[in-house]
Amino acid sequence: MSETGIKKNSQNFGILWQRYGTFGILFLLLVVLAIAQPGAIFNSSAVPQMLKQSAVNILLACGEFFAILIAGIDLSVGAVCGLSGMVAAELMVSAHMPWVPACIIGVLCGTFFGFLNGLLVNRTGLHPFIITLGTQSIFFGVMLVVSHSANIYGFPASFSSMINASLFDFFPISAIIALLVAVVLWFFTTKTKAGRNTYALGGNKEAAWYSGINVPLHTLIVFIISGTCAGIAGIVLMGRLNCADPVAGTGYDTYAIAAAIIGGTSFMGGKGKIPGVVIGGFIIGIINYGMTALMIDSSYQKIMMGALIIISVAIDHFVSVSTNEK
Amino acid sequence: MEPLIKMVGITKVFPGVKALNNISLDIMPGEVHILLGENGAGKSTLMKILSGVYQPTLGKIIIGGKEYKSLTTKDSYDEGVAIIYQELSVINELSILENLFVGKLPTVKKCGISVVDYKTMEEKAAAMLQKVGVHRPLKTFVEDLTMPEKQQVEIAKALVSDAKIIIMDEPTTSLTTAETDNLFALIRKLKSENKGIVYISHKMDEIKKIGDRVTVLKDGTYVGTRRVDEVTVDELVTMMVGREIKGTYFGNPDVDLTKQPILFEAKNITRSDGRCRNISFQLHKGEILGFAGLVGAGRTETMEAIFGAHPKIKGQVFLNGRELHITSPYSAIKQGLGMVTENRRETGIIDNFNVKQNISMVPYLKQSSAGGIGGFLDGRQEVRWAEEQKANLHIKCTGINQMVVDLSGGNQQKVILGKWLAANTEVIIFDEPTKGIDIGSKSEIYQLMRKLANEGKGVLMISSELTELLSVCDRIAVFREGEIRMIFNSAEASEEKIVKTSTGEY
Repeated sequence: MSETGIKKNSQNFGILWQRYGTFGILFLLLVVLAIAQPGAIFNSSAVPQMLKQSAVNILLACGEFFAILIAGIDLSVGAVCGLSGMVAAELMVSAHMPWVPACIIGVLCGTFFGFLNGLLVNRTGLHPFIITLGTQSIFFGVMLVVSHSANIYGFPASFSSMINASLFDFFPISAIIALLVAVVLWFFTTKTKAGRNTYALGGNKEAAWYSGINVPLHTLIVFIISGTCAGIAGIVLMGRLNCADPVAGTGYDTYAIAAAIIGGTSFMGGKGKIPGVVIGGFIIGIINYGMTALMIDSSYQKIMMGALIIISVAIDHFVSVSTNEK
Repeated sequence: MEPLIKMVGITKVFPGVKALNNISLDIMPGEVHILLGENGAGKSTLMKILSGVYQPTLGKIIIGGKEYKSLTTKDSYDEGVAIIYQELSVINELSILENLFVGKLPTVKKCGISVVDYKTMEEKAAAMLQKVGVHRPLKTFVEDLTMPEKQQVEIAKALVSDAKIIIMDEPTTSLTTAETDNLFALIRKLKSENKGIVYISHKMDEIKKIGDRVTVLKDGTYVGTRRVDEVTVDELVTMMVGREIKGTYFGNPDVDLTKQPILFEAKNITRSDGRCRNISFQLHKGEILGFAGLVGAGRTETMEAIFGAHPKIKGQVFLNGRELHITSPYSAIKQGLGMVTENRRETGIIDNFNVKQNISMVPYLKQSSAGGIGGFLDGRQEVRWAEEQKANLHIKCTGINQMVVDLSGGNQQKVILGKWLAANTEVIIFDEPTKGIDIGSKSEIYQLMRKLANEGKGVLMISSELTELLSVCDRIAVFREGEIRMIFNSAEASEEKIVKTSTGEY
């Protein structure tokens, strides 16, 4: 009797977790932060700061989401993010290009790198893990070559002031860009045929192919989205730091994967939603912000992020096991 | 004689569903006890209770004189219950030897340290493999074995653990006739050693061949237990479905359909990998064309080529006299072809989708532009497609939002059919459409195929069950080694002729 009781409880927990787990983590983090350092939360610049810290993570996580959705992964988002920013910075600083076309070209570079990833995955038939592990290193190396391993700064004032501005002195432009991208992608996943097909592909690639879905084309689209998001993130990151730093993108792959997973994306593919991923990205931003507010060394942030990935995937795993048992 | 196992008044309630209601079953030593019922009748649930995966809500189980309220998997194993699932549970990456002893390696003390006792293992394994008829070195990796050999290894594994009761869940689903005969010989050997066998099957001819007693379940309730030699197939079917399955031949023999205009034609289809050569056939309006042959004779390979799933082919395909240009399943769908594939789980259903999403996938693609990526979803249209097919095909589900993986095999198959019908597909290729589904759904699918043909749709059917081909098809093309060797009219076709043609004796 008690055994079935436990089973039932764990099932209920499972359903709760699947629905509200991401919110739960967010809430818990805010409570912990509010207790540990009330000044960091109850202050008018807290929310804008958190949003600012989250923008890049949200953008990268949205792209990563698609790669994981098709039961793949994109390990190159951090490198693409860094390289796209670097290209835009070089164009602005060395080639004196106006910032609008420079940024557009930077984003398009991200798109192109995503396209390359997709092409390689399709042509070789290898798992995206291998391909993007390789391209991560390649893109990173290219960035070091382009930048001569040095920071690039001295952007036009119009660029810096635009990207660091806030709407109504509250919503940072960078966060607005991230949310706009998220809304477009949310529309893509829920309202378009291509979006629906992508979920099918993540659920069962073979069956999707036999049902007429063009698997390589959708794989390509997924990596193009991921690359483009990383490109946009690169511009935003460069704007926030006010310089293009060759190592700026390092570590962001892990954050992007963490955000997508914490946001409820299943590693098995086919399951997950954009709003969850946005919250996942926001959680990463808050951890970031909170650690700074508590004056904890940023090295601990990495430890915490790693632990959070394992914990949330583990809970997810046990939950799906217990709900499948009926 | 005392029964090996006695299950009394077993009831199992899942939240919201009574899966089993007061079921009783006993297994005698040296008996093959058939468990018969449609999908969803409760056979698997009952066997999972016996193997300790599920705990019954009510009832008791008596094994070896001991009475249990419920079993754990360990109890079940200790009492000598072994289960051989349809999807075999052998581990491909291990050798035969390791598979036989997986989880219970015998050990021996050497210099005070317990090490694996390979000598005992090898002696015991060799004897068991001999008994089940696997003639391979013990170190062979299981992934290198054929399907029937894997099954034999699994049976050997049960014997190694000294099982008294062996449960076999549809063991012949992927076996050829000869392999089935081997399995039956082995089962008879086990019988003579006083093992109790529980045999789950849908196939009527098997029941007659191998069974001693048969217990029929229906919708989770107990219908009855009979001696196999005292019951007719018709009686069993009636017990199982609670209604008569009417008519064996679904065709209309009075009309000469070959005089009808040609609906679909394949000319000289040859695959670049040589798996089929110079395949030509014509399908007339109103006709069902069947494809017989041994596994690997090139039937599925031909159809996949026509459907664009393996697009490297030479040859031509015509629909209503117009030549089609098919380069992928997508282009096939656009031009009015569809294919119900053989392996439902691998190439049919999308596991993370519900009924509605599975059904709407193909009609969406058919309407889409730009290689299937153009266009938006239409929630209302989607519901209409799904509701229509749910009603049309009598899909049993709690609603169109139920996940497709939660449905029974027969209903999953109907969902797959639904997606092609919703797209108004002109010609549908059915590859083993009734594999692993219950007799009630089978008959519904036959009737549906006939209805489609009568409505002027093209129906092509691959099947390895000759009785099925003979009762459903108007003409039957027989494949051997990548070519069509003969096309029979239903009037002149017989099981004997087809078997002889497909094996090359004719």
